This record gives sequence, structure tokens and C-alpha cells, in this order.
Amino acid sequence: MAGKANHDYHILEPDIWPLAGSISALTFTSGLVLHMHPDVFGDAAGIVMWAGLAGLIATFFMWFKNIVVEAQRGDHTPVVQLHLRYGMILFIASEVMFFVGWFWSFFDFALFPTALEYDAATGATTSLFGTEGAKAAFIPEGLHVLDPFALPLLNTLILLCSGTTVTWAHHALIHGDRDGLKQGLWATIALGVLFSAIQAYEYSSAPFGFGGNTYASAFYMATGFHGFHVLIGTIFLAVCLFRAYKGHFTPRQHFGFEAAAWYWHFVDVVWLFLFVAIYVWGGWGAEYH
Amino acid sequence: MATTAEGFDIHHDHGHDAHDHADHKPGFFARWFMSTNHKDIGTMYLIFAIIAGIVGGAISGIMRVELAEPGIQYLQWWAQFMGGGNDLNTALHMWNVFITAHGLIMVFFMVMPAMIGGFGNWFVPLMIGAPDMAFPRMNNVSFWLTVAGFFSLLFSLFVPGGTGPGAGTGWTVYAPLSTSGSKGPAVDFAIFSLHLAGAGSILGATNFITTIFNMRAPGMTLHKMPLFVWSVLVTAFLLLLALPVLAAAITMLLTDRNFGTTFFDPAGGGDPVLYQHLFWFFGHPEVYIMILPGFGMISQIVATFSRKPVFGYLGMAYAMVAIGVVGFIVWAHHMYTVGLDVNTKMYFTAATMVIAVPTGVKIFSWIATMWGGSLQFKSPMVWSLGFIFLFTVGGVTGVVLANGGIDDNLHDTYYVVAHFHYVLSMGAVFSMFAGFYYWFPKMSGRMHSELLSHLHFWTFFVGVNVIFFPQHFLGMNGMPRRYPDYAEAFHFWHQISTYGYYIMAGSMVFFFVNILYALAAGKKAEANPWGEGATTLEWTLPSPPPYHQFETLPVITDAHDYHDHRPATA
Amino acid sequence: MGQRDTRMKKAILAAVAAGLAAFAPLSVVAEAAAPAAPVAAEAPAATTAAAPADAAAPAAAPAAAAPAADAASAYTPMAPTKGKGMPTDPTSGEPGAMLKSMHFQDQYSANGEYALWMHDMILLPVITAISLLVLGLLLYVVVRFNRRRNPVASKTTHNTLIEVVWTIVPVIILVIIAVPSITLLARQYETPPADAVTIKATGYQWYWGYSYPDHGDFEVVSNMLDEAAALKAGEPHQLAVDKRMVVPAGVPLRIQTTASDVIHAFAVPSLWFKMDAVPGRLNEKLLTIKEPGVYYGQCSELCGARHGYMPIVVEALPPAEFAAWVKAQGGSMPGEEAAAPAAAAAAPAAAPAAAS
Ligand code: HEA
Ligand code: HEA
Ligand code: CUA
Ligand SMILES: [Cu+2]
Repeated sequence: MAGKANHDYHILEPDIWPLAGSISALTFTSGLVLHMHPDVFGDAAGIVMWAGLAGLIATFFMWFKNIVVEAQRGDHTPVVQLHLRYGMILFIASEVMFFVGWFWSFFDFALFPTALEYDAATGATTSLFGTEGAKAAFIPEGLHVLDPFALPLLNTLILLCSGTTVTWAHHALIHGDRDGLKQGLWATIALGVLFSAIQAYEYSSAPFGFGGNTYASAFYMATGFHGFHVLIGTIFLAVCLFRAYKGHFTPRQHFGFEAAAWYWHFVDVVWLFLFVAIYVWGGWGAEYH
Repeated sequence: MATTAEGFDIHHDHGHDAHDHADHKPGFFARWFMSTNHKDIGTMYLIFAIIAGIVGGAISGIMRVELAEPGIQYLQWWAQFMGGGNDLNTALHMWNVFITAHGLIMVFFMVMPAMIGGFGNWFVPLMIGAPDMAFPRMNNVSFWLTVAGFFSLLFSLFVPGGTGPGAGTGWTVYAPLSTSGSKGPAVDFAIFSLHLAGAGSILGATNFITTIFNMRAPGMTLHKMPLFVWSVLVTAFLLLLALPVLAAAITMLLTDRNFGTTFFDPAGGGDPVLYQHLFWFFGHPEVYIMILPGFGMISQIVATFSRKPVFGYLGMAYAMVAIGVVGFIVWAHHMYTVGLDVNTKMYFTAATMVIAVPTGVKIFSWIATMWGGSLQFKSPMVWSLGFIFLFTVGGVTGVVLANGGIDDNLHDTYYVVAHFHYVLSMGAVFSMFAGFYYWFPKMSGRMHSELLSHLHFWTFFVGVNVIFFPQHFLGMNGMPRRYPDYAEAFHFWHQISTYGYYIMAGSMVFFFVNILYALAAGKKAEANPWGEGATTLEWTLPSPPPYHQFETLPVITDAHDYHDHRPATA
Repeated sequence: MGQRDTRMKKAILAAVAAGLAAFAPLSVVAEAAAPAAPVAAEAPAATTAAAPADAAAPAAAPAAAAPAADAASAYTPMAPTKGKGMPTDPTSGEPGAMLKSMHFQDQYSANGEYALWMHDMILLPVITAISLLVLGLLLYVVVRFNRRRNPVASKTTHNTLIEVVWTIVPVIILVIIAVPSITLLARQYETPPADAVTIKATGYQWYWGYSYPDHGDFEVVSNMLDEAAALKAGEPHQLAVDKRMVVPAGVPLRIQTTASDVIHAFAVPSLWFKMDAVPGRLNEKLLTIKEPGVYYGQCSELCGARHGYMPIVVEALPPAEFAAWVKAQGGSMPGEEAAAPAAAAAAPAAAPAAAS
């Protein structure tokens, strides 16, 4: 509707998806609450959550579809592409801070373990924090941790590998090699799926659950959120693959692909920190499963 | 001011903006529910903030009326009204629900939406000569997520939250009171409220940073940007880096509550104090998030009504950067009594006091801006003068609290309540009213009544001081915060404080009448109603600006670097 | 235009007057407090002056039925002294009550005295002066540089000297504040001597429990008195409890805090003492109460519905009476059999003046 805009910015038409997405988000979070309190709301209330989730997925789908359409239409002038770059970098920066939260709690537990001989019923605290030296170890007696040099190491290699395959795809794209682009993406996605599968297997066979002690909680929270990011990254790459088949991306303009690649590298780097800090260092000295 | 008349040589044609298709607006639903226009979204943020301000202010009225007398007066009634039981515990729980709702609403749904969402959206693009925000669609989702967060908080009021309906954890949501201590869905709704509003703010922050870095008009270098834009830039960085940590912390609250984790539960080796570290790592930057845009607005206004560029522009800009950076390393001054060791306490004492230095630079630079100026006391200016003085009073009590050994007595007393209302309910709110009166003619195209806004100022000034100054006395005398009931010794000053509330409440009538009057019968506003002191780009546009402004970008030509090399007196 | 400005100016002047008036009492307090504030290190520890137990009004409920054989050891809760260890009621009609209610409670620990001195002699004057300076400058520019008196604005935007000054001077002021501040922290964190009397305060929803590990580890459970009972006992309501935390005066105490459910905070304003009671943690801090007396405090961390209803009362007794109280509770003094009460009083009393 803009008049004769003499600039390269992207002035958008009104769009319903922001509102739809927010309503979906509220529905989803409220549904989660209902779902978590069947005693108050009854078992059936959880359906709200699924409705909200469906709305959220629809929003994401439509939103990104619109972006792709606009990109194909040529709305993404160089300056708009620069916007997208900034946006993606800043988004990743905020994600980094999100993971800082998990690492903070992990290191807090690992470096300053609290008294374990605390009796919740009476409030009696026999092992003293900060005074007589906490006797409690971070990893409770008898808890077996995952051997970092078994599947986690394999997963590390898989992710590192996937980092190179995505770079391969990028180089192919830049040099106009469409087949190389597709192959590189296929390989990356396959490695991503393999990673997730192995991670799922690790979780299902791990000798400890989410709750009960801080090692387990911190472990699952950090690796779980990482796993979730792998999933998102894989979907992101799959979308790029789909677009590659549709003939999208040119050697000069392919920010959608680059964003996916950045995201993937970010997920990769987070894993390296997880591997070193939580799997190797965190489990050091404990018995392996 | 960054942008003086000489600094800007604007090659751009008003007629074009005002009369072309630029002013063609979409239909009602598309315009307000599907908006991708920064000014419309800004307007919605402002309306939303005013509504939230009325709700949060009304809740504080309930609180003040209850506190006017010792004993429990009305809480029982409220407990039943909200669907709770008739026993004392439910009544007392209602108190905690009220302070929690009041704190969260004022912080997340009044100040932040007004300053960043409202004024930021409206004036950052205008001031840097941009046609809109970088991500117009994302801008809209930021707004609607804030609304969603508000609704989630409202939901929490009507479901069980432990000893009664609603979340009674305080705005800080400390574990384990918020985990094992508050059974029922209310706290979950409150937590998701923060998730939703936080997500909206993170997206908003991304949008502002991108817009400011990427969409400045030709010639508008970073060092020529108006200080309000600087303040939003720094604020956006604080949001971007602080909010995710809060998100992580409250996610752990959720899993502790619902999925058996023990992050903050000592029975499973967890640590309640960890939550406080995570919360305040966010929480302290958060308080600067609430004041920095205010600093920015005050800079614009003081310069405008002194007819003088801001004194020490670069110092002003980098003082905000310094406040932002140092703001990330002082968080544990909220935790002096949790059992920190002595070295930690000494460090946080010293680090916290450092912030007084860049803040002082700002205070004195504002005064120096006025020095030698030609001051005109229009309503935005009197609110700014009020701001400078009252923020100083709030800031210096912050310095008292910064001393770990002194805070041992004052922590969690009304002295702290007095401190933060001086910087918030006076600092932040005064700057918001200053900004509101400054930009209202620009936004609405109508002039408000100067008489009513001056009356608003003086009565509000008296009211809030009567509310909050005696709270210093209460705190020093030992009155703890988050108490609905108290010993007789505290009666007198609490009563005075409540009288202040009545004055303040009456004063708000001037505000609302003024808006209604202006919209209904206000004089038409010129492009620049404030005269030659108002030099930033928004004043070059008609009031209100066209639906799409700057379709041809303004060019800022500048023969010399205005700020650094100009002789001391010219 | 001009007329409006004069009106404005007058109005602003009036506001300033009001502002000054608001501050005046504060500075008065600062001066009044000055002579009374000794430097803590020199404060003598022992006390003979305070009212012995028998001087106390025999107001309140009888002591808990304890297995005490000796009638002399029967314990009567000490009656509080007005204005000591409790908030000041400005409407009490006592001389100076209004001013006193605007200020800290009198301090009964050496660290409290030092902190109060620091607040009154350094912090309060500094922040008052800074606030008045800013106010004064604002008024000056308002009067001197309004549009009528100064129609043409200068264009000054820089003055390196003044900018350096207003950066450096605050730094100096802050350093001046930091010195006593760090000193205060160091004193607050002195390690309790080995023979300090240990008392562990545990926060429960919503009452306190005080246990005495050095004295046979009995626990005193302390609940708030309702308003009628408090007034009947001659105590301030919302502050009075049924069973107090009884401690010896003039003796180093090792106060420990913890909690069983959520976080509470053990706080007594007149002792400048506040320490969170965190479940799973045991916080510990040294406290020496200078003289016998009743010191009121309140839970100071939001802990749920009855957060406002779990006050704290510390009753400091001369060591001999403390020993008697311990015996009346069925406890024993350290180093003694419970059955040999005679010399009980001597042990803690032996820890002499060094209290700080
Ligand atoms: C807008 C919000 C805002 C702002 C700007 C500030 C600013 C400051 N705050 Fe405040 N604060 C809050 C909002 C804010 N605060 C809130 C909401 C809480 C309570 C949270 C809760 O528990 O619920 C709180 C609590 C709080 C505490 C914890 C108290 C406690 O719980 O026990 C402390 C302790 O250090 C503190 C310190 C400071 C300091 C040192 C500053 C400094 O930034 C102030 C700097 C400014 C000046 C000093 C004035 C101007 C300077 C000069 C004129 C120069 C000369 C001055 C000197 C040399 C001193 N604040
Ligand atoms: C920005 C933050 C903010 C603001 C403005 C206020 C404003 C007020 N507050 Fe609040 N308060 C908090 C933040 C705020 N408060 C927080 C964080 C807490 C701690 C909660 C906790 O313990 O967990 C608290 C706690 C608190 C307490 C202590 C409760 C207790 O510890 O038991 C009290 C008691 O008197 C109180 C009173 C008031 C009063 C009378 C006002 C009045 O000034 C209200 C008057 C109303 C306004 C000033 C708003 C007007 C604004 C608009 C209508 C919008 C205008 C919009 C535009 C111009 C765009 N507040
Ligand atoms: Cu116990 Cu507050
Ligand atoms: Cu802070």
C-alpha cells in the first residue's frame, strides 16, 4: 500500500499471523497448565494444549512460508537481507544466554554441592553447607552416569561431521553446484536425525530419570534443550532442502540457508560445551553405566 | 541533543509524504489487529500500558487502603470475592496475590510496554529517519505476546495458588515458596505470563537493535543519533541478554513444580539460592531496562525546552552504555542476607556503588544542559525537572542499600520499598508522563491543556512524595515489606502514606480528563509545537505523521563533526 | 508568556520549600544522633545497668512447666522497656518520639552501633547533601536561566574540566563511603570464638523454633500471641510471642538459621541482625548483645500467607539468669551434668568483655 517508496526497506502488508500466533501461544501455555493440573481441571483439559500447539505450528508454517514467498518475490533487497542477518545473530545471542542459565545451574551444583542429609520432614540439616564443608557429593552414591566416551563421543563426532557437511552444502551453493547443495544437506539432515536417534536411545536406557537429584535434573535440562534445538535445526535444514529442490537460493542470495547453517553451528558449539562440561568433567570419577 | 537544526540539513519533501498514497490506511480490523505499522503498534502499546497502569494503580490502592490501619480490614472480603475461603489464611494470601500482581503488572505490563513498546516504537524510526521498524510483522507479535502474558497473569488470579486463589509469591517468585510452597495452577499461569511477555520483549529487542543499526537515514551516524535512540539501543541489549536467563530460571521453577526435578529443592540436592542468583542476574538489568528509556526521553526534553543541545552528548551516550554493562555485574546486592561470604559481599558493595558515577554524569549533564539555556516550563519540562530531583533521591537511597552491612538492617523493609518507588513510581513514571506530554501532540495531532498537565504534575508530585517519603521512616524503624498487618508503632506513617495515595489518585483525574479533552476539543497541533529547541526529525513531519513517513529518506548532511569539535561557545 | 513564567517560578519555589521541609527532620536526626554514636570498637561490653529480671513487671504468662527443682530458677518473661528493642510509635506522646520514629531503632550490639554511626555520620549527610545540591542547582537554573531572564541560549556543549570534576568527585565520595562499609562487613563476619553460645533458629510456616545444641539440644517453639494476649502481657501486638528466644547478654552468640519448608529470615532491627533461613542451608553469624533486654523482630522474607505473623522476640538475660532459664527448660550448661546446677551460671559469664 506504500506510495512511491524511494527506499529499499520492506514495508509489509497487515498480517493476521502475529495475532494468531499469540493467541495460540497463550492457548498452548494455558493448556499446559491445565494439563499439569488434572486434579483441578480434569483429564480432558489437556486438549487445549494440543489445540494451542497446532495453532503455533500453523503460525510458524504460515509465517515462514510468507517470508519465503516474499524472498522469492524479491522483497529481500540487500538491506533487508542485512536485517535478517542481524536478526538471526541477535536471536542466537539470546539463545546463548538461555543456555547460560542451564550451565549456571549445572556448575552451581557441581562446584557447590549442597547438603544431602537434609530431612525434608523435620527440616533437620545434618551436613552443613558452607561451614563444615558439604559432605554431599554432586553425584549421589551409587548413581551411574553415562560413559562420555561411548555414545556421547560418537554423537560429538556426528555433530562435528554434520558441521562440515553443512559447510560443504554452502560451498556447493556458492559455486552453483545444486547437486552438491542437495547432497550436503541430505548428509547433514541424516547426521542430525542420527544424533537425535542416538540421544533418544541414550535417554531411554539411562539409569536415572529427570527428577530426584540435581545431577539428573541439570543433565536432562541442558541436554534436553539442546536436543530440542537439534530438532528445530534439523527441520530448518529440511526446509532448506525442500527449497533447494524447488529451485530456491542463488549463489548470491540464500540467507535462509545461511541462517539454518548458523543455527546448526550454534547447536554444534553448544554440544561441545555440553560434552566437555557435563559428560566428561561432570561425570568424572563417577561410575559409568 | 544529537540532532540540531544545523546538524540536519533535511532534503526531503513534506508535501509528498502528506498527500501521496502514504496516508492510505487499511480498514479497521486489518489496521489494529493485523498491524505492521510502527506508529499504530506504538499506539496500541501505549493504550495497553495505560490500561495496565490503571489496573496496577488500582491494586496499589487496595493495598494502601488495607495498610492505612493495622489489622486486616478488607482482605477477607477480597478473598471471598476472588472465590476463596473465609478463613484468615486465605485473606492473608490475598495480600501476597495483590503485591505480586501489582509488581508484575507495573513492571512488565505498564513501564516496559509504555517506554519501549510505546515510545520506542513510535519515535525510534521517526528519530533515525526510517520508514518503519526492521521487522514490522515481528513488531506486532511482540505486542500481542505482551497482551497474552497479561491474560495469563489474569488467569492466575482465579485459580488455586496454595493458601487461596492467585499467585502469592511476590514478583520475584522465589523458590521454594513458588515451588513446593504454592500448590495449584496459579503460579504456573504466572510463570507462563513471564515466558510470554519475555518472549515478546526479546523479539522486540531484536527488532530495535536491527532497526537502529541498519535503518539510520544517510548521514545519521551512531554518534549523531538522538539520545533517546541510544537509550533504547542499550535497553534492547539488556533485554536481549537478561531475559533469556529469567526464562531459564522460571522454566526450572516449572519443572520443579510439575516434573519432579530438584533444582531449587534441597531435599534433592538443589539450592534455593541458585534461583535468586538467576533471577537477579536478570532482575538488576531489568531495573535499568525500566529507567534507561526514561533517561533518553529526559535528554530530549531538557534540550528542547532549554533551546540548547545536550551538554556532553558523548558522555551521556556512553554513561548509558556503562550503566548497562556494569548493571550485569551487581546482581547479588539483592541477596546480601542470604548467607553470602564476606568477600562476595564486599565485591558487590563496591561494584554496585560504581553505578552512581555514570548516573551522576547524567544528572549533572542535564543540569549543565539547562545552564545558560533559555528555559521554558512547558509540561514535559516540569515533569523532567521533577524527574531529575526525585530520581536523585531514589538513587542515593540505592547507594545506602548498596552497602552490604547497612542493608543487613534495611533489606526487605519499607526503606527498600521507598527506594524503588522513588526510582520507579517517580523516576520511570515521571519520565513517562514527561514523554507523554512531549509527544502527545505529535502522536495525536492535538494539543493537550497545559493547565491540566501542570495541575497533574503538581498534585502528582505532592501525592507520590507523601506516599513514599514516609516509607523511608517506616523502613528504618523496622517495618518489613510484604506485610498486610503491623504493630501499632507503624500506624501513623502508614496512614500518612495512604493519604498520599488519595492525593495521587485525585491527580490522575487531571491526566485522564486532559487526554479526553485533547482528543475531543484540543487545538490542532503544528508540526513542531515546541519551537526551535525541538530539533529531532520527528518534528519535521506533520502532526500526526503520515501513515508511512520518509518514503524518501531524509539526508543528514553535516559539514563537521558537530559534537566533538565545536568550540566551547559558539 | 512572561507572566506564566513568573507563576511557574513561584510555584517551583514553593515546591522547593516543601522539599526542604521534608528533608529538614532528617538532618536534625543526623545531628541528634551524632554525639550518641560511639565508635564501635571502643564500646564496653559488660553491662550492669539493665533491669534485673525481678524488676520486670510480672506481666505475662507463667513460664513453661519445666522440670526445675529449684524454685529460684523459675523464669518470668522480662517485661519490655518502652522504646528499647522495638519500633517507636510517633504518636506515643513521649518527647522526641516523632523524630525517633523516622529513624533507626537504638542499637544494642557493637556492630549495630558502628553501622548506625556509619549511616548517621556518613551516608545520611552525604545523600542529603547530594539531594540538596541537585535540588539547589535545579532551582538555580530555573530562576536564572528561564526564558525571560535569559532569552538567548548559549550553545555550550562541552567543558572538559567540569566533566572530569563531576566524574572524579563522586568517585572520591564513594571511596570515602567504601572504607567504613568494608570495615563494617569485616566486623560482621568475624568468626565466633569456640566458646560462643550456639542457638539455632529454624523457620517453619509460620513460627520459629529455637534450639540450643550446647545446652542439651532442647527446642523452644515460638508462636505469635494474638492481639488481646499481647496487650494483656504489656507487649506490642504483632510482635509478641508465647515463648521467646532467651540468650545470655554480653556473651558472643553463634546464631545459626535454617528453615524446614520455604525461606524465612531471622531479623531483629535493634541488633542490626538479619539472616535468611534457607532450607538446606545453615547460615551462621556472630552476635553479641550488649545488655539485657527484650528485642523484637519479624520474619523478613516472604514465606506465604502468615509471613506477617511470625515475629521474633530475643530476650537477653544476665548469664546467671540465662543458666537458670536453661535449667528450667530441662537443658544443661556445657561441661556440666544436668544434675549439678550449682555453678551453672558461671560458665558463659566467664567469657568476658571482649565482646564486639
Ligand atoms: C528504575 C529502577 C531502579 C533503579 C534505577 C535503581 C537504582 C539503584 N538501586 Fe535499586 N532497586 C529497584 C529499582 C531500581 N534501582 C527495585 C525495584 C528494587 C527492589 C527489588 C525487590 O526486591 O523487589 C531495588 C533494590 C535495590 C537494592 C536491594 C535492596 C534490598 O532488597 O535490600 C539495592 C542494594 O544495593 C539497590 C541499589 C541501587 C543503586 C545503587 C542504584 C543506582 O543505580 C542509583 C544511582 C543514582 C544515584 C546515586 C543518584 C544520582 C547520582 C549523583 C547525583 C552523583 C553523586 C552520587 C553519589 C556520589 C552517591 N536497589
Ligand atoms: C513501575 C513500577 C511500580 C509503580 C509505578 C508502582 C506504583 C505504586 N506502588 Fe508499588 N511496587 C512495585 C512496583 C511499582 N509500584 C514493585 C515491583 C513492588 C514489589 C512487589 C513485591 O513485593 O513483590 C511494589 C510494592 C508496593 C508496595 C509494598 C507492598 C508490600 O511490600 O507489602 C506498596 C505499598 O504501599 C506499593 C504501593 C504503590 C503505590 C501506592 C503506587 C502508586 O504510585 C501507583 C500510582 C499509579 C501510577 C503512578 C501509574 C500511573 C500510570 C499510568 C496510568 C500509565 C500511564 C501511561 C502512559 C503515560 C503511557 N507498591
Ligand atoms: Cu517466615 Cu516470612
Ligand atoms: Cu539491583
